Amino acid sequence: MIPMLATYDASSVNAALLTSALLFCIGLVGFLSRRNMIVMFLCTELMFQGAALALIAFGRVHGNVDGQTFVIFILTIAAAEAALALGLVVLLYRRRETLDSEAWSELKEC
Amino acid sequence: MVEDGRLEDRSRVFRRGASCEFNGPALHSPLRLRCVLGPPTSVGAAKGNIDTSGSSPLDYLMDQSAPSDLISSSHCMLALVAIASAGLVLLMRPGARALRLAGSVLALAGVAGLFVEVLKLASGGQGVPPIFPVIFGVTAVAGAARVVTHPRPVFAAIYFILVVVASASLFLLLEAEFMAFALIIVYAGAILVTYMFVLMLAQQSPLDGESASNWYDRVPREAVSCVIIAFVMVATLTQVLFSPNEEARRVASSQRTALQAESDQWDALEGLPEQLKAIVRERLELTRTEPIEFVATDAHTRVRSDGDKHFVIASVQGKDLRVELSSADLPVNAQLVGTTLVKDYPASIEVAGVILTMALFGAVVLARKQVELNEDERRELAGLSRLSVEPEAGANR
Repeated sequence: MIPMLATYDASSVNAALLTSALLFCIGLVGFLSRRNMIVMFLCTELMFQGAALALIAFGRVHGNVDGQTFVIFILTIAAAEAALALGLVVLLYRRRETLDSEAWSELKEC
Repeated sequence: MVEDGRLEDRSRVFRRGASCEFNGPALHSPLRLRCVLGPPTSVGAAKGNIDTSGSSPLDYLMDQSAPSDLISSSHCMLALVAIASAGLVLLMRPGARALRLAGSVLALAGVAGLFVEVLKLASGGQGVPPIFPVIFGVTAVAGAARVVTHPRPVFAAIYFILVVVASASLFLLLEAEFMAFALIIVYAGAILVTYMFVLMLAQQSPLDGESASNWYDRVPREAVSCVIIAFVMVATLTQVLFSPNEEARRVASSQRTALQAESDQWDALEGLPEQLKAIVRERLELTRTEPIEFVATDAHTRVRSDGDKHFVIASVQGKDLRVELSSADLPVNAQLVGTTLVKDYPASIEVAGVILTMALFGAVVLARKQVELNEDERRELAGLSRLSVEPEAGANR
């Protein structure tokens, strides 16, 4: 079916791309549907995982390591986000004594 | 006759449209294009910028050379994504255990079928698909589904570690060893510990007589519509990423960049002069018995190539010697990542450092306990005398 021979392991790349698509979308489902704020942030980490996997898979296709260096920056942002977001969650928890994000639903204006 | 001619004409127009849209290599048959377009669902609508009015069902018959299994592969993937989504919906519903079991079976079957289908595409339909990518991929996706559906946040965090380990294994399969271990150390080791601490700080202990988890962890919000959004996204992504057209374009692009990738690796070795000198010294000591006074200047540690051989000109006791290098001398993954990071993205490292510092400050500011002080206490802290004469009045104010 494919006329030319790939210079990379096509099955690993395809599996990684499919996994990345699924991880991103499952993370999105979790972020939209879970009510617990900590689990919502855990789901954004899932989406980060999906993005990192896609970067590395495409970097493997092109035979360079730029994708891997981008993943280092993803790790940096994920660490910064975890520190800040979890600090915010603790602050919000102290105010309302619940982790339910619906507790803050009066923030929507209508 | 006239009808035939018009069909022929339309088909040509369609062909031209196809080659405009996909100026990749070779594969421009209308059949393949329709495979990219997929079935007439929201996925097809998402790619509606391609003019499909020129295509009629007769085009199938006119192009006899194209294999007919392409269409079924694309449809099959869509059906499997739908099955997996249905399973996920059942998994997210609280309540009946049998339904959740059926959901997990459905989701697992859908995801595993999807992986096998995608790997069949990679191998061109021949041979048995390799087992490790399937195992790690299915493990990662199953763990992710459990993160999303588990009613207890601590268990969700532990399943997230499973996802991290499985995707690190996929990184290993993709020859990204450094990032695989960095991912485990940073995610599973550092970020997840932070999550665990916050869970312990913020989790309410359930009262006696209640179930082990809070109600808001058991009841999802708008599960069905969320999964529909995800279904549309996954369907679009699989149609776009795993069409044979795109597969062939990836292969062609990798071949175009293969030479460049190799010369980049030799350049990276040049960027590690001490290691290059060590390699040259080792080679020279293998062949010569007398002590070597190895002189290398910048000009002499340059990797040159003639055809497919790479070599270094080393200056030994006044004479220039040619030392051949093999591909085993190329820098390993961690060295490549490091040299690329500092050579190509130095400004990004600075920005990342600034972001980390600001996150540190932000976390400290957020976590600090805020105590309300009245005017008198503030003045006292500043070393000034109290304003109010009577303490009772100050307390009432």
